[in-house]
Amino acid sequence: MNRSRIWRWPIALAMLAALLLGASGCAGGNARATSWTGATLVEGTLYAADQAQVVALNAEDGEQLWAFPRDPEEDGRGAFYVAPAVDGEHVIVASQMPPSGFFGQPRNVVWALDRETGREVWFFDKVNKADGTDRAVGQYVEGGAISDGIFVIGNSDNNVYALDVESGAPRWGAPFKTDHRVWATPLIVDGTVYIGSMDRRLYALDLASGRVRWDFYTDGAFASAPVLQNGILYIGAFDNRLYAIDAETGTELWHFESDGWFWGSPVVDGDVVYAVDVKGNVFAMDATTGDEIWHEARDVAVRAGMALNEDGSRLFVGGQNGALYALDTSDGYLMWSAEGENQTQVLSTPIVGESVVYELVLYGESYRIRALHMENGRESWTYPHDAEE
Amino acid sequence: MFDFISYPMANLILFLYNLLGQSTVAAISVLTLLINLLILPLTLQQQKSTRKMQEFQPQIEKLQKKYANDKERLSQEQMKLYQEAGINPMAGCLPLLIQMPIWFGLIAAIRYCIPTTPLEVFQFSQHIYKWFVGTVPLQSTFLGMDLGLPPGPSQPLAYALPVLVLVTSWLQQKLLTPPTPAASGSSSDPPQASASAQQMKMMQTMMPLMMMMFTLQYSTGLSIYFIISSVIRIVQYYFVQRRQNDEPGGTKRLAEPKKQKS
Repeated sequence: MNRSRIWRWPIALAMLAALLLGASGCAGGNARATSWTGATLVEGTLYAADQAQVVALNAEDGEQLWAFPRDPEEDGRGAFYVAPAVDGEHVIVASQMPPSGFFGQPRNVVWALDRETGREVWFFDKVNKADGTDRAVGQYVEGGAISDGIFVIGNSDNNVYALDVESGAPRWGAPFKTDHRVWATPLIVDGTVYIGSMDRRLYALDLASGRVRWDFYTDGAFASAPVLQNGILYIGAFDNRLYAIDAETGTELWHFESDGWFWGSPVVDGDVVYAVDVKGNVFAMDATTGDEIWHEARDVAVRAGMALNEDGSRLFVGGQNGALYALDTSDGYLMWSAEGENQTQVLSTPIVGESVVYELVLYGESYRIRALHMENGRESWTYPHDAEE
Repeated sequence: MFDFISYPMANLILFLYNLLGQSTVAAISVLTLLINLLILPLTLQQQKSTRKMQEFQPQIEKLQKKYANDKERLSQEQMKLYQEAGINPMAGCLPLLIQMPIWFGLIAAIRYCIPTTPLEVFQFSQHIYKWFVGTVPLQSTFLGMDLGLPPGPSQPLAYALPVLVLVTSWLQQKLLTPPTPAASGSSSDPPQASASAQQMKMMQTMMPLMMMMFTLQYSTGLSIYFIISSVIRIVQYYFVQRRQNDEPGGTKRLAEPKKQKS
């Protein structure tokens, strides 16, 4: 039987299509990151989501204290991106496990780990409803927050979940439903949960019951945690605005406009608010009026918020180019910058320690976490350590 | 990889979304229609070329049999036949190759606008035109389904979409692929024509199945796009290509084998 050459073309084209799909990222999943990692520093220990694992590191030298799971290849628990939430005894994280079987769905799980050992205490991936069983079907993009024994976290399935810290049992009658993805970490203060949603609303919920106290609507999606000071919430949105909102009533006090989304959380220090937009414009504003004090353009894409050192003299911001910048808070002057390896991206909010600032990078070949001296940006340590040898 | 196409397309989706009452499905539908209209000349050229190649398939296979041991002569005779018939062997595939980046760019554009992963949204944030600030993310709900999530237990209705993708793309393949020409009457021809028909049938089965498998894994918004695209092509066939086939001098759709045999 002779094969006509012309009919090989459709088959070849189908194969090329599959190849291009893979190259375009559409067919990806495990090979490329879907989000950025996060970490939390508590009492000298850095708890970090490190994609295949959650690790606890000695903040002074980066030595690993424990990892969960111990061996991801043997006992994988999925991809960990969200910053851990830490209280006295628990480290609570979330992961997305790959689908089992071709028709399976990814499993999105919240894990509670023992803070000292990293041992699994409980996990949550579904809640029993009166009329059946439901589960968190979307990815957890940002970490949760803990207060009064309740852990609150948003999910890409538009819901906000509240879980008992001791047992993982749902604390509200049902998850709180918004109209779009919840990609923000909540802020919990005095029994009120402040959480933004991509449905363009900032919600104030009662922590105990999940009932809405008020909501604030605007033209842009909210994807970060607000900051609260003196009864005023400061939060950025995807309409290029940073808002100051009365925490009690949810009314707008002022807003500040830039030419890029505000994605990372702002920083408030006394009567100054510092914020950075996704185009890399760093602003200092008067916390009461929103008037601009200074503005510094870094000309780099910035996803995360900034970190402020203890005496309020230095702001640290990471860029998509893999660099970390230290700015003088008085005028935005660049004090130093620490370049990253090729291909790395710093998309997570830096974390300030005693004398070092910690950065988490994506696509790092020789390190994924780096500790830099605050004064000059020199490297103190990197993690994993064995990549240095 | 196709950012130079996907970012402008994504902005076009945002524009259409605002224009069409903030309906995501309407925006995707209209953009799909516009793209299909834009590439219609390529599509018609591809169809025409395929039909022409199909017509001359028996002669090509005869040449291949005749010069099976003389590749050089075979190549010469084939080129001669192509020239005499006015066939460009690449004409059927080149339009397809040009269309592929457009399709992939559109798929990526849909993923940017209906947020699938945060990294993609962040990348897109650098390329949103100033008039569409605040438009992202688009409303992602349609008939109770989340357009940004794949079919699953949380939205079982969404499983219907890959099935619809299978049906519409199969129907499109069936309509737009001309049937294998009838045998010329020689006793040596039927096996040759049968081989082509089998391979054609394989393609008609394989492509829709591949598309269904693909849409089972990815967001339902992509299924909507594939369904709309297939429906548009089917409608195009009835209103444009069929008329073209019937025009004097146009390439007539091949006669049904049964009629010829009688």
